[in-house]
Parts: sequence; C-alpha cells; structure tokens
Amino acid sequence: MFDTALRPVHILYGTGALLVLLAGTTLGSYPSYLISLALINVIAAVGLNLLVGNSGQISLCHSSFMAIGAYGSSMLTAMFGLPFWLSIPCAALGAAAVGALLGMPARRLSGIYLALATLAFLQIVQIAIEESADFTGGVRGLDVPKAFFWPSVPVGPRSLFFVVAGACALSIWSAANLLKSKLGREINAARLSPHAAQALGVSVARVKLTAFALSAAYAGLAGGLLSLVVGFVEPNEFGISAALRQLTFIVVGGMGSLAGSVLGALALSGLPELLRSAKEYSDLASALILLASLLFMPRGLVTLWQHLTVRTVHPVARPNRSPAK
Amino acid sequence: MTPRLELDCVSVRFGGVNAVQGLSLSVAPGEIRGLIGPNGAGKTTVINAITGAVRTSDGAVRLDGRDITRLPAHEISKLGVGRTFQHVEAFGEMSVLDNVLVGVGRATKGWILQYAFGTPHARHCERHLRRLAHETLEAFGLLDIRNARAADLPFGLLKKMDLARSIAAAPSLLLMDEPTSGMSEAEADSAIAAARILASSRGTTLLVVEHNMRVMMALAQRITVMQFGAVIAQGTPQEIQGNAIVIDAYLGTDDHEEGHDVVH
Repeated sequence: MFDTALRPVHILYGTGALLVLLAGTTLGSYPSYLISLALINVIAAVGLNLLVGNSGQISLCHSSFMAIGAYGSSMLTAMFGLPFWLSIPCAALGAAAVGALLGMPARRLSGIYLALATLAFLQIVQIAIEESADFTGGVRGLDVPKAFFWPSVPVGPRSLFFVVAGACALSIWSAANLLKSKLGREINAARLSPHAAQALGVSVARVKLTAFALSAAYAGLAGGLLSLVVGFVEPNEFGISAALRQLTFIVVGGMGSLAGSVLGALALSGLPELLRSAKEYSDLASALILLASLLFMPRGLVTLWQHLTVRTVHPVARPNRSPAK
Repeated sequence: MTPRLELDCVSVRFGGVNAVQGLSLSVAPGEIRGLIGPNGAGKTTVINAITGAVRTSDGAVRLDGRDITRLPAHEISKLGVGRTFQHVEAFGEMSVLDNVLVGVGRATKGWILQYAFGTPHARHCERHLRRLAHETLEAFGLLDIRNARAADLPFGLLKKMDLARSIAAAPSLLLMDEPTSGMSEAEADSAIAAARILASSRGTTLLVVEHNMRVMMALAQRITVMQFGAVIAQGTPQEIQGNAIVIDAYLGTDDHEEGHDVVH
C-alpha cells in the first residue's frame, strides 16, 4: 500500500543532494559559507512550520530556541570538551525540553495571546543571555570553540559544510517521516478540528505540546550548527528580527508544507545575494518581491511546485468534486 | 446486565440555560437506540455530555458501569466511545484516507523518534492502520475518493466520511448525530446499511439522533423522545409513532412550524 514509485519529490531531493555535493567540493569558502547559512535557515524553517503551519500555534520565539542550541552546544564543548556531534544533539534536546516547558502554559493560549507569550519568552531568553555574562559573554558575545570530530581530529571548513548539509537532509527527511506518520496526522488534525480530534482519541493538549518540543529541537539543531559555521555567537542574532525572518520563510514558502519550508528558506536566504547588484535599493526590492509573492501566491511558493507535480504525475487524478452527483 | 451506557440524572447548563435537565437514560449492550425531539431539545448536548465535549453540571455518565463523567474527551474516546458530528467537523485540508486514519489511530502507540526515523515498528503500525482504514473506506464505498481533499467533498459524502471515520476504530458505543442529513434517500440507505452491518458484526451499541423518521423507524429498536432537555417518552418505534405526547411535542397543538422536517 506504500507508494514506492519515483515521484518528483524524489527527483528534487536527488538534484538537491547532487547540487550540494558539487557546491561542497568545488565552491570557495565564502559561497560555501552562504550556502551553509541557507541550509541552517532551512532546518529552522522546517521546525517552525511544524509548530505554526501544522499544529497551528503561532510562535515569536523560534530564534530563542536557536540561541539555546547555539549557546548550549558552545558551552558544552568549552566546559566538558564534548565533540560537536554530542554537544549539538544535547543542546537540541535541551531546547526541546525548554520548548515542552513553554508549551505547557502556551497550549492554553492561541492567536495574539500566544504570540505575546512567546514574545515574552524571547525577551526572557535575551535577558538571561545578557545577564549571565560569566558563561555567555553577555552582550559582547562568545567565541565558539573550534569544532572537532574527536579531540585530535578537527573539523575543516569543507567537512563542516557537509556536516551542515547532512543535518539539513536529516531534518527534511525526519520531518517528512513525521508528517506522514500518525503523529503528523494528529498534529494537523488538532489544528483543523480540535473537537473532532478529541472525539477520535487524540489528546490535543499532548499533541500541541509535542509540536512545541519538536519545533524547538529543530531550532536547537539549527542554532548549534550556526554557532559552528559563524564561530561566534551574540544575543542580537537571536532577537525578534530573527524570529520574524523565520516566520517570513514559512509564510512565503507555504504554511504547513515541508516543501514550503525548504523553498521559502532557500529563496529568502538567496534573495539578498541576488539583489546585491541593486545596491541601496536591495532592501526595497526584496520587500517588493515579498509583497508580490504574498499577493500572488498567498498559499506560498509551494503552490508553484504543486502545480508542477500535479500536472506531471497525476494528469487525470484530481478526484475533486463528487463522483456521486 | 450492566447497561453499556447509563445517564443518571444528567444536567448541562450553559450560563442560565438548562440545555439538559436531570436526564436519565440506559442503553443495553448491542442495542440500537434512537433519540428524537424537536430542534433545541438538547439531543446534541446529550451526545456532547457523554463524549466529554461539554462538562455536565450534575449527574453521572457511566460506560459499562464505569463512571466516565469527568474524563477528558480523548480518554472517553479511547474507552470505545465514538461519535459523528451534525456538521461533520472534517479535517478539511486532509485527504479522506487521512481523516479515517486519524480515527483508527487511537489504539496504537509510538515514540516521536520512531515516527521521525520511520523505524520498522512505526512502519509496521502504519501498515496495520492503513489496512483498517482501507477496509472501512471500502465498506462505505469511499475507496475511489480516498485521495480527495475532504474540503472538496459535498456535504452528503462528508457525512459518509464522518461515519466511516468514527466507525473505523471499532467503538463499543457509537453516538451518531444526524448521520443522514444532506444525503439522498439512496445514499442514506446505503450508509445506514453499512453502519448497521459493521455495528452488528462487532456488537456495537448505537445511539442515533436522526430527523429522518423513515431511517429511524427502520433502524432503531427503541426510541427515546426528548423535549426541553428532558425525556418525555420512550418505547418501540411503533409505540412512539402512536404516542400522543410525542405528536404534540413535535407538531404542537396549534400545528406550528417546528415539526416540518419530521413529517414524511
């Protein structure tokens, strides 16, 4: 009953993997750096979309979970000498735990109230980082220890690129699995009709909490990787503007759609680079493009992709409208 | 014998309104019970009170002798109480198959990481769920439209999907809230037949709220009549049909409009 046929999405994944492989082996350090940042944005967007798009809970503090991942993994490496492949997952787990804690009061809220509660959480994290300067470096920031596979084997820039790419692939793959699973259906069901979901045995409160924790875990992973790639963390990077930027990724890409998270994050990460030639007008141009995409593709860039796949794969099968009429 | 469902002096208040007042009701295992009454009699509120969708202000609800009055809705569901909705409550953006899959999922458990990494256990469970959903969709003739988005379906098909979704998990007690509204006569007959076959083969107890008296007379073994949140009559379909109080409640002594959707 499982669909094992080659679908456009597989071709897309394959092409993506190939491109990344090519980029990692041929490109110079600056382009690789930019691509790494874009891939990290993809991971963050994937997590945020699970929460906002699928479970229907607005969040203005996704960047705070990235901060927990970034500071957490840096401090674990600095204090206990953990290699990155231990410190980052630990920090992501920590972010998930904090996410679950935040989700507990948050699941009673929705809409603007939830937005404000998560905004308050963002401020708390900012203040906590700034005030515990002994550990975090406060407003001056923190130098991130060089990443290593093993104490004697450092991670070179090229390997770091592939680490990021691998983590990005893992994030997309695991989110795809989750969305297709029972849990994924329940997360969507809790958003679409909490009443019916409850009646079908879904604990809406637990599902919403799970979505919070999951989304925070992806953000933690993204934050940990960001700290390695940039080599330096400061609280400003994880403020409200970062949180809003991540929301833009998923709104432009497509709410509740995994492909939307990927497309939105890649497009908006690439846009400033493409508009570089517009110099002082680049901000204006990117704002206009953003507005246009919202006006003409209110359901996100992913609609383009859906048009493409629906036509090529299911030329006849659009089983809408009742056959019973 | 312990009744499958027992309501003991249940009251539900919304602000100052008594939607259900001291209602007692007992349904035997395997019974098909009809629940009728004029609009606003409190039939849907009774279903909401049983499933935990609204809080009762008084009285007790028991399932197989166990008090379920204060349990959260999803736990009542897991104890084997299924329901359909008057207005369907479809998961609109999900496919028909996915809607039904949510319904069958209540018995299986898994860890987040198992789902995220698609472990053999998770895949095994998923295959099992899909098989169950497939069977139910087939029984209701919905297999051909399983990949259609629920929001794209007409109301009659949505009602059918709702029925399939609630019955797929094999509840021991199924509460049906106007299951055939929006269906043509033929659709109603086939949906009810499918529900009845599945219910009788599993010994499912049915409590059916229905305005279509033709369906009700054919389906129900006993009928309870409600008015103003209380039971005013109870009996076999034949008894109810001839009951003066019932006719009065539905049609009103001065023949006003309320009963228009009942007369056939």
